[in-house]
Amino acid sequence: MRSVVFIAASMFLLAVLGPLLAPHDPTAINIPERLSPLNDDYWLGTDALGRDILSRLLYGARWSLGLAFAISLIGLWVGTLIGLVAALGGKLADWALMRTTDSFLAFPDLVAAVVIAGLLGAGTWSLILALSVTGWVRYARVARGIGLSLQTRGCVIQARLAGLPPGSIARWHYLPWLVPSLTVVWTSMFARAILGISALGFLGFGVQPPMPEWGTMLLDARIHLRSTPLQMVWPGLAVVVSVLAINLAGDALRDAIADDGNQGTRPHREKSRFSLPMPSPRHIRRSR
Amino acid sequence: MLRVDQVTVKRGSSFALEDISLSLAPGRTLAVVGESGAGKSTLIVTILGLVKPWKGDITWAGDSVTSCAPALVMQEPRAAFNPLLSLHRSVMEPMAARKEVASSERIARLCDGLELSRDIFDRRPGEVSVGQAQRAAIFRALIAAPTLVLLDEPLSALDAVTQKHTAKLIADLQREEGFAALIVTHDLGYAMAHADEIAVLKSGRIEEISHPEIFAKAPRSDYCRKLRDAAVALGALEISE
Amino acid sequence: MIKDLMGFVLRAVVVLSGTALATFVLLWHAPGDPAQAIAMARFDALLTEDVIDQVREEAGLNAGFWTAFRAWVGPLLTLDFGRSAVTGRAVWPDLLVAIRYMLPLALAGLAIGLAISLSLAIVAVKRPGGWLDRFAIAIASLGTAIPAYWLGLLLILLFAVHLAWLPAMGARTPEHVILPALTLGLGVAASLTRIIRSGILEARGQSFLPAIRRRGVSSRGIDRDHIAPHAAIPVVTVFGLELAFLLEGVVMVEVIFGRPGLGTFLVTAIHARDFPQVQAVIVLTALMFVTVNLLIDVVYRVIDPRIGARDA
Repeated sequence: MRSVVFIAASMFLLAVLGPLLAPHDPTAINIPERLSPLNDDYWLGTDALGRDILSRLLYGARWSLGLAFAISLIGLWVGTLIGLVAALGGKLADWALMRTTDSFLAFPDLVAAVVIAGLLGAGTWSLILALSVTGWVRYARVARGIGLSLQTRGCVIQARLAGLPPGSIARWHYLPWLVPSLTVVWTSMFARAILGISALGFLGFGVQPPMPEWGTMLLDARIHLRSTPLQMVWPGLAVVVSVLAINLAGDALRDAIADDGNQGTRPHREKSRFSLPMPSPRHIRRSR
Repeated sequence: MLRVDQVTVKRGSSFALEDISLSLAPGRTLAVVGESGAGKSTLIVTILGLVKPWKGDITWAGDSVTSCAPALVMQEPRAAFNPLLSLHRSVMEPMAARKEVASSERIARLCDGLELSRDIFDRRPGEVSVGQAQRAAIFRALIAAPTLVLLDEPLSALDAVTQKHTAKLIADLQREEGFAALIVTHDLGYAMAHADEIAVLKSGRIEEISHPEIFAKAPRSDYCRKLRDAAVALGALEISE
Repeated sequence: MIKDLMGFVLRAVVVLSGTALATFVLLWHAPGDPAQAIAMARFDALLTEDVIDQVREEAGLNAGFWTAFRAWVGPLLTLDFGRSAVTGRAVWPDLLVAIRYMLPLALAGLAIGLAISLSLAIVAVKRPGGWLDRFAIAIASLGTAIPAYWLGLLLILLFAVHLAWLPAMGARTPEHVILPALTLGLGVAASLTRIIRSGILEARGQSFLPAIRRRGVSSRGIDRDHIAPHAAIPVVTVFGLELAFLLEGVVMVEVIFGRPGLGTFLVTAIHARDFPQVQAVIVLTALMFVTVNLLIDVVYRVIDPRIGARDA
């Protein structure tokens, strides 16, 4: 767990401090030095335009990790809101929202993102939009599931009877119990966003040149596969290491939560001890 | 005026409540007694609209019961509070919902009547005793001067002296403010002393609704007689001839 | 059961209509002048306003939103996808060709994925917590972190460039399918291994197994009759997600290996802003996924009778 936190923290630092560490300007073109192998000046070599690959990787972390972070947070916010509205808002709202998430789940995320980003025209904003449109669904499912299970809790019933507005009920009596599970979902969505951004970049729908982004760098490197194969190794490695670190952090987090839950100290695992014989108000659907 | 009109609640294929009719006027107290599993608590959640009746109507002054902001004291006091929030935040929720602030006289009156020291309100539900939590729950139910109060075993975790004081506070406030109270209890003595009417529930049906004295002197069914005799034998009830 | 089925079908209809509407809204509001894009793609240069107007008229881009939507959705109901805005050819035959290229790749990928993940999982659970088990989990974690396009490039580098064993680009011979299918299969295997592994472990933990074993049933019999069906449940559950994963993989893999197929078809169509073609792919995909999810719901009930009982 500690090592994973260390990796995640160093990745974050790299994304923030990367530009300071970069030895060269990531967009500076230097044709005479193009496609040069690893050397003392260019530690990881240069690309087809003679740009320093290490510098581009370091600057690229901002795009690849930073955008993924932003997209996963947008999804977290929107998805939690929608999930809670579904759980708190009555049968009709629940039905409508669940059918909407069904529609989204019935379609491959990446294909949808490719279509949206492609049709809206390449660019950072359409990239964010394309990945956010599908990015909220999993949060919404989780938030709704837990939300429904909280409905019969004593404090929720009391707050409702007292006439507390739904926003306050959600904030104080639902949200704290959603945090652990949503954090786990968030780590996996963060990793997915990194993969999505680089995939779109690789297809030419993502962050546009000359901005360095790992997927776009792979696209550039692909043409020179035979002459300078190492050029395509670095950005791919950067993606794999980031995704792996985040996924492992998510796994560790899930295990930690499960352990805590078994000891009964975590709120979200605590079973409702409300003893009134209360049939569950709504059938909790098996979520896929 | 609370009206429960021919209410039937299904649980699976059987009935949790069957053909229940009763009414409760402001200022009056109805005690619901009966064995465990008779449907007393189900009656409360049904009145509050948390469980939809299969048949029948429940109204308060012609409107839905939730329109009068009913107050509830739950059977398990600690589970009724959010374990993450201080008791202060929880008990003040009814006031916060009305965007009002409780007067210090009201707080003092409730604290004194319930024998609660004020420092327990800074703690969380897990850090107080069950008895303290139960009194805090009564505090929450009464803080905003409700018109209808539903109490499910409100005195079960209290010692005899505190029980007496708490019962007195509820009765005093009811006399002054005129709220309707529905009390579910096992304690027949308490029901006899404070209720205007006693409803005996058995297997989801009402065996009898009558004035306490009539109930004590002439129970209408065998079951009611057994219930009364058991209470007498335990010393919870004295029948004056 | 009949009632459940009706529910599923109703849900499928709602989902499909939603997808259709969302698609059309997106196409309608896509920035830029589609007529111009189409004209550029078709004629390549020297565009006069007349030509663009003509294209606009032809593609039916002049009408209002709802008129256009009605005109669009009507033929769709009969699976008539219209004509390509760029080439003027009917969409459906071209789409069929693309699917014919995609199917062997997808099926081979799925087969490789299932074979690898099953054998990995079975080896892993021989001794849970042992080094083989930990190795399998590590491989699976690594596998889910490797994007398909990078894995594809690495495989090309190794098998096509260095070793020169296999062809990399195109789809001329059956051998051309090996590397793309391997890329796809490794990705599928990575995501399935964990699920199968924990499915088997959970199935083994069933409380009635020791009793059966004491009765003298062979361990092979137990594996076949009690462990395999139970372990299949989570696999069926994630199959819908797996299919989504497969299709996403197909898009990337086809682009990397320069294979004609549904993914290449879609990406080319988007680049050319060929709306009828894009729409056709989306609608077809949605139809496919709704059907598969419907089947999963049904299969789920057949292999796990508890679900139906729980829902009742």
